Amino acid sequence: MGLLAAGIGAGIVAIAAGLGIGMIGKAATESIARQPEASGDIRGAMLLTSVFIEGVALFCAVICALIIFLG
Amino acid sequence: MVQTLRLLFLTLLFLSVSTPNTLAADPSGAEEEPVIDVMGTVLDHDYLKTPFGKIYLPRIFYWEDASGQTHLNAYGSTKKAEQSELFELAESGAIVPSGGGHILIDMSITSHLAFVWFSVIIVMIVTFIVAGKYKRGVGKETEPKGAFQNIFEILFEFIRDHVAKDNIPDHKYKRYVPYLFAVFTSIALMNLFGLLPWAATATADLTVTATLAAISFFVIQFSGTKDHWAHVFWFPGVPGWSRIILTPVEILGLFTKPFALAIRLFANMLSGKMMIIAILGLIFIFADLFGPVGGYGMAGFLAVPLTAAIYFLKAFVALLQAYVFTILTAVFIGMAAEDHEHDEEGYHVEHVAEAE
Repeated sequence: MGLLAAGIGAGIVAIAAGLGIGMIGKAATESIARQPEASGDIRGAMLLTSVFIEGVALFCAVICALIIFLG
Repeated sequence: MVQTLRLLFLTLLFLSVSTPNTLAADPSGAEEEPVIDVMGTVLDHDYLKTPFGKIYLPRIFYWEDASGQTHLNAYGSTKKAEQSELFELAESGAIVPSGGGHILIDMSITSHLAFVWFSVIIVMIVTFIVAGKYKRGVGKETEPKGAFQNIFEILFEFIRDHVAKDNIPDHKYKRYVPYLFAVFTSIALMNLFGLLPWAATATADLTVTATLAAISFFVIQFSGTKDHWAHVFWFPGVPGWSRIILTPVEILGLFTKPFALAIRLFANMLSGKMMIIAILGLIFIFADLFGPVGGYGMAGFLAVPLTAAIYFLKAFVALLQAYVFTILTAVFIGMAAEDHEHDEEGYHVEHVAEAE
């Protein structure tokens, strides 16, 4: 059961993180298309926000790993 | 198979957070090398691998014997420590005092620590050489000379202008440029060392990344202004009762930031290594299932090209993660060092009116 829970958990994390990073990418490309001269700033902001999502996703991955090992 | 993998991941995770004492030693009984040394490539060791054999690193123990007296002993290698008959290897491969008692602090130099030192020393030497050049006027009065200095200047200006200046308030950013530059270059070097054969990735060790994050934590907190601490303990402009929730969350937030820094760097570097191990492991699984032909086929058509592709990805991730660590440190410093002028609308309007 622990294995199942960790697997499903990791899957949900992947969906959520993918959605989040995808939305950041969408917004960033749209704004670059509208305002190409601000692409440098936008790229920086995009990277920073996606890094925060990555951090949350990795937290969840660690928790899933803990479920396997401790559960 | 599943059991072994579980055990492997378990030990991997927990050994990476425990002291080097528990994992540095090779069990003396296991002389025969396993087919593929999965643990060996990611774990900390008491030796450095070279093309010509292993170089054993010194072991330093601060330990307590059975009668409760504390001693400080240093040995050239794990074997020397064993020969002294004060220490012996336990079943698990950890080193323990043979007459009872236990090790209080294991200050042994391990391979990961050695690689941290390597990269720090390289960064120091390069920085001193280039700084000497600038002192002589090369680059200041004339153009920078040679590829070496040009690359250094690009890196430094990148950190100064795009990491420090963009994220830290204008009059304060200069103080943090040396720290940010040191963090970026040394983490990038540690990460890139992991791509070399025989070398170890120091940043794929939670102890190393946690230390880096702890340093960043102190830098962030000591750069905090009065406003920063006011926001932590007594959030302005909210109903009084909501501070019961806000204050603990804000205090927790102080610690989650560096914790996330440590976990992010560690997980990214470790996952790169694990991915390569897993893909190369496919060769042996296929050789087991379909005989040597399957093994060779797997190696030639999938595993080796894929590993090569992942190596490029790893080189990119190595630099990206160094950049991410640095820019997040800069952002957090900026958040703490900000004078919250624009936070209270009234003050801001007044301020703007005055300026005009």
